[in-house]
Amino acid sequence: MSQSMEVAVTLDRQTPRRAFRPHDIAFRAFATACGLLAIVAAISLLAFLMHAGLEALSEIGLFSMLTGSRWRPEAGIFGGLPLIFGTVASAVGAMLLGALPAVLAAIWVMGLGPRGLLPAFRRAMELASALPSVVYGWLALEHLVPRMGAFAAFIYPGRAEMSGEGLLTSAVLLAVMIAPTVALLSIDALSKIPAGLREASAALGASAWQTAFRVVVPHAKAGLIAAIFFGFARAAGETMAVQMVIGGARTLPETAFSPTTTISTQIVMDLQNARPGALESDALYAMALVLLMLSSSVVLATRLLRQRGSS
Amino acid sequence: MKSLRLRARRRIVDNAALLALGAIALSLMGGYLLTFGHLLLRGGHHLVAFSKTPVPLSGSQGETGMRVALAAVYGASLSWALLRLGRPLIDRSIASGWLERSRTRLLIIGASALLAALFLRDHLPPFLISLPRETATGGGIGPQLFNSVYLAVLSTAVTFPLGLGAAIYLVYFARSRALVRSARVALDALASLPSIVYGLFGFLVFVVKMRAGYSLWAGACILALLNLPLVVGIIEENLRALPRDLTEASLSLGATTTQTILRVALPSSWPGIVSAMVLAIGRVFAESAPLIMTAGTTIARNKAYSLDPMRGGETLAVHLWYLGSAGIAKDRAELSAGTAATLIVLVLLTNLLASRVARAGQSGGKRLAKMTR
Repeated sequence: MSQSMEVAVTLDRQTPRRAFRPHDIAFRAFATACGLLAIVAAISLLAFLMHAGLEALSEIGLFSMLTGSRWRPEAGIFGGLPLIFGTVASAVGAMLLGALPAVLAAIWVMGLGPRGLLPAFRRAMELASALPSVVYGWLALEHLVPRMGAFAAFIYPGRAEMSGEGLLTSAVLLAVMIAPTVALLSIDALSKIPAGLREASAALGASAWQTAFRVVVPHAKAGLIAAIFFGFARAAGETMAVQMVIGGARTLPETAFSPTTTISTQIVMDLQNARPGALESDALYAMALVLLMLSSSVVLATRLLRQRGSS
Repeated sequence: MKSLRLRARRRIVDNAALLALGAIALSLMGGYLLTFGHLLLRGGHHLVAFSKTPVPLSGSQGETGMRVALAAVYGASLSWALLRLGRPLIDRSIASGWLERSRTRLLIIGASALLAALFLRDHLPPFLISLPRETATGGGIGPQLFNSVYLAVLSTAVTFPLGLGAAIYLVYFARSRALVRSARVALDALASLPSIVYGLFGFLVFVVKMRAGYSLWAGACILALLNLPLVVGIIEENLRALPRDLTEASLSLGATTTQTILRVALPSSWPGIVSAMVLAIGRVFAESAPLIMTAGTTIARNKAYSLDPMRGGETLAVHLWYLGSAGIAKDRAELSAGTAATLIVLVLLTNLLASRVARAGQSGGKRLAKMTR
């Protein structure tokens, strides 16, 4: 009698009354709050940035901010062109010098090279992409800058300002930094291709080379381009490593070896000196907005490409 | 005849191009491996230069605790490595059955950690436990090492509940389509931001608006925000990859959604959760720009090892940047090499841990195997 009572009681306790249990509600509320917090954080981040940046833009003027070629915050001159040019030029250079070889290497490893190499290649790339950017920056400072200096002196003899720190140096450094990530993303894109495609191509008598470049690469084109664009966005946003080697001259570079600056570098350098709320500091937020536009337009283009590739 | 010759010529061209591609790939791979080797050889001796005489204490708060912890880590990793390397020997020896048991192995590792903490703590490599010096030679990176690890702990304390909660929300609770979509757009937007933007945001909110000055707490919050998209993405993917039978069986047995999530879904997707956290920690070690703007670039001598999260502090990555761009000590090249080697060892360890956990997840994990049997 008492036993059956107990069974009944436990059963009763376990009947689902889901909506009314306090810990259920608390848990659900917690999870929802976390989800909402991500939205709030993203919105407030953009709002803060917009607020400060647009204030400076309205004061300085969008046109003069984008096309002025001198950046002298201490004198009230805010021409952002050298910063924008430095960012874009070094990122494009990195794309050519780093992302393209990385994609080619991924294509080779994923079908042309020996099979056993893929895990080792992937592991090396994973490690290299996990290396902190300041470590790359320091390595470049120690090994790349003197060599670039010698090279520049060879090409342009008798110009003292070419110490080796400059646009090309930072492009090479960024190339080294983005290549592993681009290679990993390309491997991912290439491995999503159905094996049947490769096999069909081989069965029709195509050589490995023909299979790779006439079947596999066209099929994975969207993914490969997305990988390269991702590398571009990363190169454009990189800060500390570039700051160490680009030289910090706030003018447009005369040659590829001349020192110049980038948006993110200038933000880090000027923020320490600028009084918060002053125009000098707000101008930095405006430049950050420009950087944001640059990288998010690239990311958006990537997403469009990927959607078209998948459909 | 002609077409044959043409084909032969084309094959030669093909092969040459193939060789060129192979050369690119191999040199890429070899270059990075060489870089790693170079970095470890160049600065690694700082990590094993144990001193014969006890290193004097500098008198900053919490220094002994830091030494004990570091010595314990040295002892534990040494015995782990010995057990690991000696596996073929152990397998052949009489004690193999005994040593194979994970409990005895843990006991050995724990004992050597304790021994090292007792006897090694004043003989650790001086580079790792002494304070940095601005102008004189022979400075160390003790506070920076401590700050890196402490910042990882602080930022994980924020990222873990937040990321887990957001992922659970997206997978199990999200009812309104619009909210899910906007959460996903928000996370995507956060993921695509350059890290300097996070730094600016953190500077504006914590340093300017809250007038808190540079603090580790601000840095931890900003890094947590930076890691949020990564962590939520990985955890969400793992939760969605769980076999449906598992959660449905739990629900059909009368468990509530909360019980199902806490007792079934999370325990069986632990490898994904842990590897997400480890990856996030790796990014904490590597990141520098947002930290310069939120946690600052200074070390307070008396509070170098203090657990107070409201103090500012420099991490290893920031220190490496500082040495390279603003350092004036004569031996800064040597100091940079040592700092870089320490940073790499930390990153390598987290990377190793992440891949091990991921492998445990690939094989299903013991727990999942037990549950689905």
